[in-house]
Amino acid sequence: MQWVTWETVGIDRMASAWLIVRHIDPDAEFAFLPKQAAPPAPAGAELFDIPGVRLSHRRGHCTFHTILREYGIQDPILERLARLVDEADTIQEVSLEAAAVGLDWVCRGLRKICRDDAEALRKGYSIFDGLYAYLGDEKGL
Amino acid sequence: MRQWVLLHYRVPPSPSARRVYVWRKLKNLGAILLHDSVWVLPDTAWTYEQFQWLVTEIADVHGEAMLWQAHLTLPGQEQTLINRFLAASEREYEPLWQALQQDAPDLSALSRQFQEVRRRDYFACSLGQQIYDALTRAREE
Repeated sequence: MQWVTWETVGIDRMASAWLIVRHIDPDAEFAFLPKQAAPPAPAGAELFDIPGVRLSHRRGHCTFHTILREYGIQDPILERLARLVDEADTIQEVSLEAAAVGLDWVCRGLRKICRDDAEALRKGYSIFDGLYAYLGDEKGL
Repeated sequence: MRQWVLLHYRVPPSPSARRVYVWRKLKNLGAILLHDSVWVLPDTAWTYEQFQWLVTEIADVHGEAMLWQAHLTLPGQEQTLINRFLAASEREYEPLWQALQQDAPDLSALSRQFQEVRRRDYFACSLGQQIYDALTRAREE
């Protein structure tokens, strides 16, 4: 399936694309619209992280968090990752994840050194694969 | 000429928790309220996105919001606005600076508070750098 979002991806869309590929649609193809373009919703495509669409920010939570809810994915490590992305991508009054800021900077920098958004998403997979592995065994017990 | 993002909005008066939620988010972003009507931030990819999502959150609670990009055209007004941001950061840094002058300050708490203020210190006020330097020195003493 085709998944469509605005160009110039950051942490929320990198994490969301990783979540889609690993847990929803392994053959996902991603396409990018110019920023602030009104979504044309191409037939058969799913829009994400664009204001007003189904898979977007909700109640102060990031798109990654919304996708977990919408697809009923239950995994405590992914919940923790959603918390991290929330704190990295939006202003939260409670901040519990010290890694959030660093993760945000890494994602922004990664986008800067990639030729295009597709490449940034692909390279981002390694970051979230690694983070998932780490959070699964955080204390090394 | 510098570009700014402007937000003005209306949220139904009750329940008041929603109004407080939006107001706190704006304060947390370090936005400045101009003439009791328009909130302003320097336009960056990050601030733009924060305002963009705040607009969707306001719509979710049946409020109305408009997001603008603008620049100041009269001579001197841009610097006046920048000075307001600098003064706002300075006011937030001041108690941290005072605390650092005391005997045996709580460096751990102060450095966390410092990070919080620095996030919204868009124009890097000089007191911020002084505190950064003082904290670095204190650690080495």
